[in-house]
Amino acid sequence: MTLIATRPDAGDARPYTFPDLQRVTVDGGTVIGAHLPGQLLASAMLLLDAGAAHETSGREGTATVLAKSLEEGTAERDSAAYAIALESLGAELSPGVDWDTFRAGVSAPVPQLLDAVRLAAEAVRTPRLDPDDVNRVRDDEVTALRMDWAQPGPRADAALRADLFGAAERFGRPMHGDPASVSEVTVEDVVAFHRAWLRRPGVLLVAGDLDTLDLEALGAAAFAGTGGEPLAAEAPLGVPVRAERRIILVDRPGSVQSTLRIGHRAPERATPDYVQMTLAATVLGGAFTSRLNHLIREVKGYTYGIRGSYAMSRRFGRFEVAAGVQTAVTVPAIIDTIGEIARTQEFGVSEDELAVARSWRAGQLSVEMQTPGSIVGALSTLVVHGLPDDYYPTLRAEYLETPLADVSAAAAEHLQPHGLTLVVEGDAAIIRDELVAAKIGEVVDAQI
Amino acid sequence: MTSPSAPAVETGYPWPIETTRLANGLQVVASEDRTAPVVCVNLWYDVGSRHEPAGQTGFAHLFEHLMFEGSAHVAKTEHMRLVQGNGGSLNATTNPDRTNYFETMPAEHLELALWLEADRMGGLVPALTQETLDNQREVVKNERRQRYDNVPYGDAWLRLLALLYPVGHPYHHATIGSMEDLNAASLDTFKAFHQQYYAPNNAVLTVAGDASPADVFALAEKYFGLLEPVASIPPAPANHLTAPAATPARETVTAAVPAPRLYLAHRTHPFGTAGYDAITVLAAVLGNGRGSRLYQRLADGARIAQPDYIGSYGVDLAHAPAPLIITATAKDGVSVETLEEGLSEVVGSLVTEPVTPEELSRAKALLTTAWWRQVSTVGGRADTLSRYATQFGDPGSAAYRLPQWLAVTADDVTEAAAYALRPESRVTLTYLPESNEEAA
Repeated sequence: MTLIATRPDAGDARPYTFPDLQRVTVDGGTVIGAHLPGQLLASAMLLLDAGAAHETSGREGTATVLAKSLEEGTAERDSAAYAIALESLGAELSPGVDWDTFRAGVSAPVPQLLDAVRLAAEAVRTPRLDPDDVNRVRDDEVTALRMDWAQPGPRADAALRADLFGAAERFGRPMHGDPASVSEVTVEDVVAFHRAWLRRPGVLLVAGDLDTLDLEALGAAAFAGTGGEPLAAEAPLGVPVRAERRIILVDRPGSVQSTLRIGHRAPERATPDYVQMTLAATVLGGAFTSRLNHLIREVKGYTYGIRGSYAMSRRFGRFEVAAGVQTAVTVPAIIDTIGEIARTQEFGVSEDELAVARSWRAGQLSVEMQTPGSIVGALSTLVVHGLPDDYYPTLRAEYLETPLADVSAAAAEHLQPHGLTLVVEGDAAIIRDELVAAKIGEVVDAQI
Repeated sequence: MTSPSAPAVETGYPWPIETTRLANGLQVVASEDRTAPVVCVNLWYDVGSRHEPAGQTGFAHLFEHLMFEGSAHVAKTEHMRLVQGNGGSLNATTNPDRTNYFETMPAEHLELALWLEADRMGGLVPALTQETLDNQREVVKNERRQRYDNVPYGDAWLRLLALLYPVGHPYHHATIGSMEDLNAASLDTFKAFHQQYYAPNNAVLTVAGDASPADVFALAEKYFGLLEPVASIPPAPANHLTAPAATPARETVTAAVPAPRLYLAHRTHPFGTAGYDAITVLAAVLGNGRGSRLYQRLADGARIAQPDYIGSYGVDLAHAPAPLIITATAKDGVSVETLEEGLSEVVGSLVTEPVTPEELSRAKALLTTAWWRQVSTVGGRADTLSRYATQFGDPGSAAYRLPQWLAVTADDVTEAAAYALRPESRVTLTYLPESNEEAA
């Protein structure tokens, strides 16, 4: 035999470490630096407590229009000069908005990072926000959203969100708004959002070779001219769940796949069950060998891939399964999906499955945290959720040690197979009758 | 601005590289870096969709899927379970040139990763069943639906390849293949495919990260050393294409798309040549970032193109003149004719208006960051070394790419544009929304 039959054992593992952190306070803001010796690239992110949750009702997308307006010129230079100055450092600005924060990230070779952060701060703190530019960016964003919404997925996402959180609530509307709400955004909305939320110091996150990078100078660049107190935390929203399942049909005539978005509400990120829930969801729909992917892709061949996970922000969470399945097998795929969610909820997880989930989650804390960009992302989680500097080593130990009974108990408590909202975006003319006949839940048409 | 400018870059690969070749022909590359306790195992097999004969499109990629479904000592689904269940990330990709497989693991599992790779290099055929083939055929058909058929403009790449490369050329058909050919795939064909191409003398194994070259070479010998080489590996179909094309080609597609979109494409030079380095810099000057000519003139200046959907890029194929693709999507109320006129004018400006020092240094700065980002992980590094070993016979030549980009002059860019971007060699692919049909 030319092959070795015996699977090798593992070698000795080096102890897990997260990069050393340094903190400095400058001009009322905090810089948190993670030391990555020898890295040629460095990343920085200005993290502001200015998420989409602050937007006015009916004007969802205001913060996104602001984010896209930042590079249309600053107090010092016009948009072309700004683009050339920043890109000549090898850097590009990545402004973004989520529910909890407004973020502006830059990456550059280490010697260029300070100038890149100066330019990022110039755009974030002193954008020109010329009314003509803001109106044009707003119109472009409406068009870009229409482009995006022509793909399968965004309409289904919006339908699920509206059903889970209420179409009249901010958290029931798309995080970046929809074409209708963005078209209502005015110059005054954008300027007001900037004035209220982007002139507070916030936190600057830095990952790179701190032997070379000057955190004081980086902080001075990020926080110059800022002011304002940190905001008080707001209460979590609770976890209401539907009494019965409901199917929402989003028509996409001619679609060769049905896009599934299946979910229910869940606790916010601060839940003490975070680790147990993450491990349970990894067994159900996180790993490649998860119950859902195994059955629906590897056994049935219905899909290219199916994932299930919890997503959690400061005030709320949700469980969601996402997949694209061939149109002809839409109903069997949904029935199998509900079956695996119900089985996991009722009977919990097995030792073998949990062992995979534990090691994978623990290993990913090394394997997926090699770059300055990924470390900055990890730092942002610490800041947004108020976690300690030793959080990642602790999390790793918890992934490896949390008892099986606790993971199964979390599945029992935080999966709701009878209260699912099932959004199906596909060719309604082909799938509607079968969906109704399957009696999975009431079938309604999306108001989108 | 007070920071010092970037020092002159003398190498794009400042990590050690050691190589060896086993008696069976397997090239082994080791690049040690003890910074993080992670290691990547990467294999390039010198087989891609360019090797597929007519009637067998999509086979190289479908075969890639079969490589995850078990082998002589690895049960079905066990490969994924062992990698993820030991903390690793894994994947594989197929393109016209080659097929690659890779897993990044906590370093203590290096030996496991090598054992898994050797088992499927040498022991796939006994584990291959009709059931597995049928299942993965359906998965791949779903991949095609999800990526190409169910997405607006999703088939652009499929159409561009067919327009850029003549019938019979190895790049003419797309890697994903046709539904018809996938349906006709037989088990025996795949067994033969493995026996022909999945040989140690048709592969490069690279290990980058937390492992010493001595350990890597000893483990490679232990797990791969006894695999038999294949005496004659069939070459890809003949390819006598000269670049660029002599006549323009044009296709207009009316489909369920939200706005008119244009793709202009040209055959340029093969990846790895000085000519293609100039094309890489040209693509960055033309269409990378907000400071690029396309963005400045069409999204910001004339405001006829949507700012989020404009750009240009080369597709790094090495076995024939590689494509340069330029794309823009019309803003509301802008006709596709206006957009094409604007796009052609900006592309033409690369010949008539010399690239300024400012444009050149902006493009090179962005390329520099992109290069360092690519090699910032052990996975990116291992894949880069496997590429250069496979395509140019020397993993160490990876170090030259960045300095070669940085050595490109404004004249080189002008010359590359004059050679490759002439209107008479252009492929123009236009998408129009269905509602335009009646108006047209």
